[in-house]
Amino acid sequence: MAKILEGPAMKLFNKWGIPVPNYVVIMDPERLMQLGEANKWLRDSKLVVKAHEAIGGRYKLGLVKIGLNLEEAYEAAKEMIGREIGTAVVRQVIVAEMLEHDAEFYVSIAGNRDGAELLLSNKGGVDIEDNWDTVKRLFIPLDETPSLEKLTETAKDAGFSGEVAERVAKIASRLILCFDNEDAQSIEINPLVIRKSDMRFAALDAVMNVDWDARFRHADWDFKPVSEIGRPFTEAEQQIMEIDARIKGSVKFVEVPGGEIALLTAGGGASVFYSDAVVARGGTIANYAEYSGDPADWAVEALTETICQLPNIKHIIVGGAIANFTDVKATFSGIINGFRASKAKGYLDGVKIWVRRGGPNENQGLAAIKKLEDEGFDIHVYDRTMPMTDIVDLALKA
Amino acid sequence: MSIIANKDTRVVIIGGVAGVNAAKRMAQFDFLINRPLSVQAFVYPPEKGQQKEIYRGGELNNISVYATLQEALEENPQINTALIYLGASRAAQSARECLESKNIQLVSMITEGVPEKDAKKLRAMAIKSGKMFNGPSSIGIMSAGECRLGVIGGEYKNLKLCNLYRAGSFGVLTKSGGLSNETMWLCAQNGNGITSAVAIGGDSYPGTDFVTYLEMFENDPETKAVVMVGEVGGTLEEEAAEWFGAKKRRIRLIAAIGGTCQEVLPQGMKFGHAGAKEGKKGLGSARSKINSLREAGALVPDTFGGLSKAIKQVYQELLAEGSIKPEAEIDDALLPELPLKVQEIMKQGDVIVEPLIRTTISDDRGEEPRYVGYAASELCEKGYGIEDVLALLWNKKLPSREESEIIKRIVMISADHGPAVSGAFGAILGACAGIDMPQAVSAGMTMIGPRFGGAVTNAGKYFAYGVKEFPNDIPGFLAWMKQNVGPVPGIGHRVKSLKNPDKRVKYLVDYVKNHTSLHMPILDYALEVEKVTTSKKDNLILNVDGTIGCILVDLDFPEQSLNGFFVLARTIGMIGHWIDQNTQNARLIRLYDYLINYAVKDEREVPEKK
Repeated sequence: MAKILEGPAMKLFNKWGIPVPNYVVIMDPERLMQLGEANKWLRDSKLVVKAHEAIGGRYKLGLVKIGLNLEEAYEAAKEMIGREIGTAVVRQVIVAEMLEHDAEFYVSIAGNRDGAELLLSNKGGVDIEDNWDTVKRLFIPLDETPSLEKLTETAKDAGFSGEVAERVAKIASRLILCFDNEDAQSIEINPLVIRKSDMRFAALDAVMNVDWDARFRHADWDFKPVSEIGRPFTEAEQQIMEIDARIKGSVKFVEVPGGEIALLTAGGGASVFYSDAVVARGGTIANYAEYSGDPADWAVEALTETICQLPNIKHIIVGGAIANFTDVKATFSGIINGFRASKAKGYLDGVKIWVRRGGPNENQGLAAIKKLEDEGFDIHVYDRTMPMTDIVDLALKA
Repeated sequence: MSIIANKDTRVVIIGGVAGVNAAKRMAQFDFLINRPLSVQAFVYPPEKGQQKEIYRGGELNNISVYATLQEALEENPQINTALIYLGASRAAQSARECLESKNIQLVSMITEGVPEKDAKKLRAMAIKSGKMFNGPSSIGIMSAGECRLGVIGGEYKNLKLCNLYRAGSFGVLTKSGGLSNETMWLCAQNGNGITSAVAIGGDSYPGTDFVTYLEMFENDPETKAVVMVGEVGGTLEEEAAEWFGAKKRRIRLIAAIGGTCQEVLPQGMKFGHAGAKEGKKGLGSARSKINSLREAGALVPDTFGGLSKAIKQVYQELLAEGSIKPEAEIDDALLPELPLKVQEIMKQGDVIVEPLIRTTISDDRGEEPRYVGYAASELCEKGYGIEDVLALLWNKKLPSREESEIIKRIVMISADHGPAVSGAFGAILGACAGIDMPQAVSAGMTMIGPRFGGAVTNAGKYFAYGVKEFPNDIPGFLAWMKQNVGPVPGIGHRVKSLKNPDKRVKYLVDYVKNHTSLHMPILDYALEVEKVTTSKKDNLILNVDGTIGCILVDLDFPEQSLNGFFVLARTIGMIGHWIDQNTQNARLIRLYDYLINYAVKDEREVPEKK
């Protein structure tokens, strides 16, 4: 799932003929004034300025300003750019035309196992959740494209009539085209507005998710997806992501501030179960981590050092299932080196380490890490006979 | 008994090196249970026509790589299963071909990062044609005692530890690959092992679903219970709960669901597999799945660690009610060991292998090369030079400072002798013909022989002979040479003479005799010989080859090393000539007709062949 920002979404809408208001994305407020000289709409329309960043609750944070003229938009952009919200910094703003309109509609499409579902309502806008029962649904089977007649029918079901129904159906058909051709997972336009004087439609706000795995067939995807963890990535997270991009297999790392139990776990399935076990036993996780697909030992070493530096941790869970092909001896040698280096730098004071793992060369790997006992580490090593997440129980009882 | 993979399964693997590695692992399982090789063919266009070596125990099998699926199936009509090991951009197209082919009933895909749309289409295609598409992101499928598809089950030792050589009573279904292996182990540790285990992959839209496999297990009389490991995202677990609760089922269901931690994570944060995402209003959450499974009567422990106890409990119940009998323990010794590689047996000291070659000078098995025991970096650090390395590798001992200086000078004065001599000219001809450096330099190198630079060895050899056999009898030595060898190697020069001496020889002799304290009996002897020969003819001087040969034998270099000094020194020059010609972009050259005397027959008619 890869959420993309409004700017790139608008660009894709434009490409597929879905009407959007005029907009520009800028990083420098001065550029807005220059654009104002070149574009009549910037001088003549009411404008909206929004922080073009993956920051939730922008309206409340004062990162959305509406009803502005060009000078006011310039001031708003100047004020927003550079603002720090938690770990995020506003670097871009999107300035769009505030289309004066007569009605707000809701159009969305989302994929499911058998195809996709189109949702239409003539009661769009901020109150859509309250009007959810007015939403009409149309199932679109895989590889099928509904006819304009069918879409018009659905629009009429959803309370549209006459020319508006036909125009909404037309926009819906383009939305389906865009969804299908751009490997989208979901697109939600709310509101889709209409100015009846000239029958002009525009998607004023939109949320779009694309399938990032399909990027190999989209040469024009010049954007990056918004972080999947609900906030911008930290420096440590970005460093691990850079390593991840360079290696066979993978290493992943997400910080969870305030937690006491650090996870240095293997495999996409098992790592989640370790996080669950910590929570189920009343503990708090300091991070999520995962190494899988037999990554290079130096990558695991870097991940280990990153985890050892998490603040205020009391335990490190070196957990994993019985691996199919990840070499336990090799990956553990990375972990051992990481622990040694961290201890030498003064980390791991009073931290207990709990190990459970199996897989190729498990005996050598476990024997090697057990030797850390002799070097003054508070480490407890278990083999495959220990139930996988029970080391979490032991840690939290200790 | 088993589901979807069994003794009759015959496999084509589509993909390169990862696929070959999987085939090797699969062949280990084939060996363990003594079944014929599962993998019958590879399809991978870049390596078409190659044979891949696959060992089933000690038996070597050569498996062909085909360019197309069609060719593979034409030659191997017994194939009924395809495993896809291609990258994400090509995997879907390949799976489509497999699903379209008549013989293939099951396609399993390990590829990760396949676009959702492609996976959805493949699923629909499989359903329509009544076939199975398992994956993407599936580690594979295991049927104990019958068939292994992919690397599921890990290393050979683990196959035994998990009792995979014979069927147990538990079915296993997981999204995760690592947890499929873990769960097979849990079934062996706490029960009697598995019938089949299927990893469906952790993507958003797997090609198959839990219900399909639960139905299969329900219809497999040997499967008494199923352990299902699901996770947050999608509704496959809810569907499984609905199926399980819909009516009385023969099989028992034990489940673990990952992702409850998301309840306490900061808003919007998600971990794990691609499919691990929560839907609107809690649908697809781990909690919703756990609740619906529990309501349907499945045993769902609160952590993954709790699975051990749950499996043990169900196993005990099954034993108590008599639906299964306790398995006789198999003596581990009856299960075959994988044949070891020669290296491994040697390590254990059970076999002697006579070495093919022997070396006494160099060893790079450690962290850095060692020359006759000395680490290269330490030699550098302690101020030794290339001439000392030369002496170590050619003569196995470190020379003294005085000796090194002589060696260095010998190489320096022999490095080049202009473009006209055979060696340099050969290298230049090669360079002009556009030949690469190693070939052009070796063209020059082939010139080194009796008439060009190759006299050093023989000069050293015969002067040393003279010192030994005719110490005070130079005429005797010369007579012996004339009778047995011919002209004395190292004596005589085409242009240089007593009146026009070779500057290099003068310099070397002067340096050795006046600037070192070394004793040089063979050089001294050769100089005495020169006195006699030059008295006969002015140009029968001790030439540079002879001088070098005598000095080196005096420095105790072995006879057969002597030509090496000329070879080494001239290599420097020839490389220089090659670089020079290339830098100037020299053109191809040929001899002008006027430089050739065409001493040939006049033109004439070819006679009819008799």
